[in-house]
Amino acid sequence: MPDPSFVFAQSVSGLTAAMFLFLIASGLSLIFGVLRVLNFAHGTFYMLGAYCAYQFMVWLRPGPGKFWLAALGAALVIAALGGVIERLLFRHLYGKEELYQLLFTYALVLILSDAAKMVWGTQQKSVTRPPELTGAFSVFGAIIPYYNLLIILLGPAIALAVWYVLQRTRVGRFIRAAALDRETLGALGVNVNGLYTWVFVMASFLGGLGGALISPMRATVPGMDTEVIVEAFVVVVIGGLGSFWGTFLGALIYGQVLSFGILFFPRFSIFAVFALMAGVLMIRPWGLLGKPLK
Amino acid sequence: MHRRRLLAFLLASILVAPFAANAQKPIKVGMPMPLSGPPALFGEPASKGAMMFVEELNAKGGVLGRKLELIVRDSKGDANEAVRQARELILKDNVDFLVGTLTSAEGPAVSVVAKENKIVFIAPIPKTDQLTAQDKLHPYVFRVAANTTMEGRSAAEIVAKWPVTKIATMSFDYAYGQDVTKAFVEHLKKLKPSAQIVDQQWPKLGEQDYNPFINAQMAKKPEAIFSSIWGGFFVTYSKQARALGVFDAVKYNFIGVGEAGSPETTKSMGADYPVGIWGNSYDAFYWGETAAHKDYTARLSKYLKDEYPSSWAIQGYIGMQFLAEAIKKANSTDGDKVAKTLLGLTVETPIGSQTIREKDHQANRGQLYGKTVMDPKYPFAIMKPLTYVDPTKFMD
Repeated sequence: MPDPSFVFAQSVSGLTAAMFLFLIASGLSLIFGVLRVLNFAHGTFYMLGAYCAYQFMVWLRPGPGKFWLAALGAALVIAALGGVIERLLFRHLYGKEELYQLLFTYALVLILSDAAKMVWGTQQKSVTRPPELTGAFSVFGAIIPYYNLLIILLGPAIALAVWYVLQRTRVGRFIRAAALDRETLGALGVNVNGLYTWVFVMASFLGGLGGALISPMRATVPGMDTEVIVEAFVVVVIGGLGSFWGTFLGALIYGQVLSFGILFFPRFSIFAVFALMAGVLMIRPWGLLGKPLK
Repeated sequence: MHRRRLLAFLLASILVAPFAANAQKPIKVGMPMPLSGPPALFGEPASKGAMMFVEELNAKGGVLGRKLELIVRDSKGDANEAVRQARELILKDNVDFLVGTLTSAEGPAVSVVAKENKIVFIAPIPKTDQLTAQDKLHPYVFRVAANTTMEGRSAAEIVAKWPVTKIATMSFDYAYGQDVTKAFVEHLKKLKPSAQIVDQQWPKLGEQDYNPFINAQMAKKPEAIFSSIWGGFFVTYSKQARALGVFDAVKYNFIGVGEAGSPETTKSMGADYPVGIWGNSYDAFYWGETAAHKDYTARLSKYLKDEYPSSWAIQGYIGMQFLAEAIKKANSTDGDKVAKTLLGLTVETPIGSQTIREKDHQANRGQLYGKTVMDPKYPFAIMKPLTYVDPTKFMD
């Protein structure tokens, strides 16, 4: 029987990983849920978010409070970039075959990551943890960095905020309506095109914010985009494509399976995650909280 | 009449051209090297080091009166792609030699191509022992990088002197991570029989979240940690380890091989670097041990337009240096003659005298090791004192 403090520490690290992933996967799920496009380039928005945070930190110079400005700035830049890309390019994809969508978003991955390489080069970049949150505290013998605690709290906060927008506001009602029946909504006089742009902007903001917030805990390098997109896909598939709370649940499960997997299969914990995904797909192909496609 | 003269002139020039061109024809060297993806962090500067050597040599008239021509191709850090590029370089570009590859998957794969085509292949970076193991060795493959045995044992020589007995390891679960960790553990147990390996973690190559591995390792209460998490991955690992208090818990009895002490890594991490740990590096611009090294660093700094030039350039540079020296000594570009000359060849490189052993075609390439400290001269940590660990006595 493992030491209880170790079990606790392990579940906290699983929770941190889950909330990081949720930030990325929620944008992916949102775009699919409303726009019906699997956006492969979402991981690249995440990478660009990390690079932008790095760039803002270079310009602002490290200091108290600067990191939060940089993270917010990065998320806004990526949100704007997402808006431009949706207006100019994505627009032509709606209702097209999945193959075209996949090829297009994959091309976007290649173009954006090469552009990032031209701007920031291939050397790893690193963002320093904000000075306000460099410490750690100890609970039940487990060490928890303040920064991880922030992420753990931020995950549900963002989930609630997005839920509130979707369920309780006028725009949210339109977005939900657009996901169900775009033509009727348009016929009722709602600017559906504008609505889609806003959904894309919101999702890109979440992706960029995820990248910016992860930059103090990881190296910012070319290739980090394709690594994260695979994990985000697994989360979304487990939770159910297009289901917001499903994504939240999927991320929680993913984090815990990965954390505790290494206790049972020390060298194959990643296998446990994929086994879980295969299991979910066999029993409920539409994911835990998703709805079967008609 | 006029037309006939023109025809004769044309004919003559066609006949003469090959001979005239031969004296001028450059010696072609193909370099498959990762220039994209995460391994490009090292592949790119290594190729620049090779280019600098070639440009300097050509400015001095080249070798055997001919210029060297370096053709660099992106191997993407992928064994299949490296093989494809190597074949194309041989068949289409007609290169005379191959110098290149970075990962431990690429090196052995390209070695097979070199063997088939009887083309001399010098590997400047791949470390896996497999590349020059007795069953894989052939007359055309050479390595000027350290190998996993040498690197693991160098680290064991250092850790054996620490006042610790409970040791843990953290390495990626693939050829390089496994081989270097095994070499470290075996050599350490030989040097210090009381040493105990209390935990071994094997995250997958390129892991992004080390928290679960770190928690599991720290639960075993190690007194020292050996890590071979390399390059940019070390940045990610050490940020997370530091947040969880790993370095304080082991009182900085931590050694990071896989170039965790390289100036690129300490520079990119700045104040986040876990200053006080031990690391290694192929080169360090601040080493300045010899006049030759100082001179090389100054030239490289100018060439790369970088005040703190890369520690990886040296590997491309030395690879080309060995090749040029062998061509000169063999007085030929014939593959077999150059391959024979490389055996036992000693070259004065910027980091000192290096010799390729006849036995296993492996150069005695040691690395720089040291404890990291902050130095007021630089805005990042450096290794000080910096020691070149000569592997000659424990290469077998």
